[in-house]
Amino acid sequence: MSTILWIVFYPIIAFIIGLFMLGYARKFTARVQRRYGPPWHQLIFDIVKLMSKKTNISHGYMHDIAIMMLLGGTLLTLLFIPVPGFHYFAQYGDMLVIMYIILIPSLGMALGVGETANPNGSIGISRALMMLAGYDVAFALSFIGMAMLNHTTSMYQLMLIQQQHGISSWGIVVNPFLGIAALIALQGMMGEKPFEVFIAPHEIATGPMVEMGGKYLGIMMIQHCIGVFLEITIFINLFLGGAKNWIELIVKLFVVFTVLLSVNAVFGRFRTDDAVRFMWKIPVAFAIIGLLIVIL
Amino acid sequence: MEEKLTQRSVWEKILNKLRKRSLWMLHYCTGCGAIELPPTMTARFDMERFGITPMVTPRQADILLITGYLSAKTLKRVILTYEQMQAPKWVVGFGSCTINGGMYWNSYATIKKLDRYVPVEIYIAGCMPRPEAIINSFNVLIQRIDEGKANSWKDYYENYDYYKKNQEAVLGKFDTLVDIKDDAKKFNIV
Repeated sequence: MSTILWIVFYPIIAFIIGLFMLGYARKFTARVQRRYGPPWHQLIFDIVKLMSKKTNISHGYMHDIAIMMLLGGTLLTLLFIPVPGFHYFAQYGDMLVIMYIILIPSLGMALGVGETANPNGSIGISRALMMLAGYDVAFALSFIGMAMLNHTTSMYQLMLIQQQHGISSWGIVVNPFLGIAALIALQGMMGEKPFEVFIAPHEIATGPMVEMGGKYLGIMMIQHCIGVFLEITIFINLFLGGAKNWIELIVKLFVVFTVLLSVNAVFGRFRTDDAVRFMWKIPVAFAIIGLLIVIL
Repeated sequence: MEEKLTQRSVWEKILNKLRKRSLWMLHYCTGCGAIELPPTMTARFDMERFGITPMVTPRQADILLITGYLSAKTLKRVILTYEQMQAPKWVVGFGSCTINGGMYWNSYATIKKLDRYVPVEIYIAGCMPRPEAIINSFNVLIQRIDEGKANSWKDYYENYDYYKKNQEAVLGKFDTLVDIKDDAKKFNIV
């Protein structure tokens, strides 16, 4: 019974936390730029406005289905992430499963944007998939390192092992090289600057989102809120010892997000090839050093 | 006429209260007025306080800000852009050029009154208006949305023939690939 309740309410909780994290992101960025910034609940207004648009232009069936695939893929991935109080699916699907299904949203997006036939959208999608090839190498290597270190691929087991001796058993303390590699990969995964190549508002007009308006963009924003929660929680579970209760999780989410945002607020944007080149050099080098430490 | 208090109108009022706090702006900057926008967006005047953010594509935008004069050629692009935006949408005419032609009044190539071609919600007078004036006019727009008076976008769906006639008088026959009358029926606007 409690499992069913968790399946219903877990995405809602993740959405609400993600909503306030993104609101915090806008306020934080504004303050770094010495502006006053929007209120921290600005995202509520944005989503309500988008969902209450009077006209919603569809470009075809694939366009409609893709949006559902985007949200559905994210929700599916979310259920496999263990959080305090809920790890039912995490027993059955380990980190390898998560690394596969986390790609479903991107692929769904690629299909939908193809239907809209906007050249900016197609460029955005090709850049997003190229960026994926960039950060996934570092992320997979750092995960393999953690799996070899702890002799398990289950995210829940990794979380428990790291909680044994407090901070001294956290992944990022035991093997900081893997942690740094995963943190840089996370920056790319979240599409924050300097790896913002597939959004790039001034270059390709927000890339994949270019033809999305009204309810379509509203659902994409909801997905983005859940996605932010999901991606940072993966990092926390792998390297920061997960969390024993929700307050600890929220504090860790905001701390990691602040680190990412501080980089985001002051950097410009890499070119696509430079971004991939950077991803294949620096984080991969860190991850390989980490791996060598684990093996030797 | 007294507005009847129905469930629908109450819901619409709540939506208006939330909607006014999030306005995404597409700025069409062929005129010189664009120079006043960076200070409006950045640290000194910061319009993101009111939830107004620049957006880069018409599909996502709520406000179309026309800064300065429009030649016959650029008018066509404005109309194409305007029709791609999702209702409710508002056009803000910026500077004297959009009101009466301004310093280009004698020009053979520019249009004089913007509201003959697309429905304009508010005009900002001046050549050019300063950031204070822009912020002030956005506050007026926010107030109008709150009161439910900002309905100029409905005019385009209701009186499409009038606008189409004026557009074709300047541009000749042209097709925007958007069926406005069909959309009005489909989305239950008229």
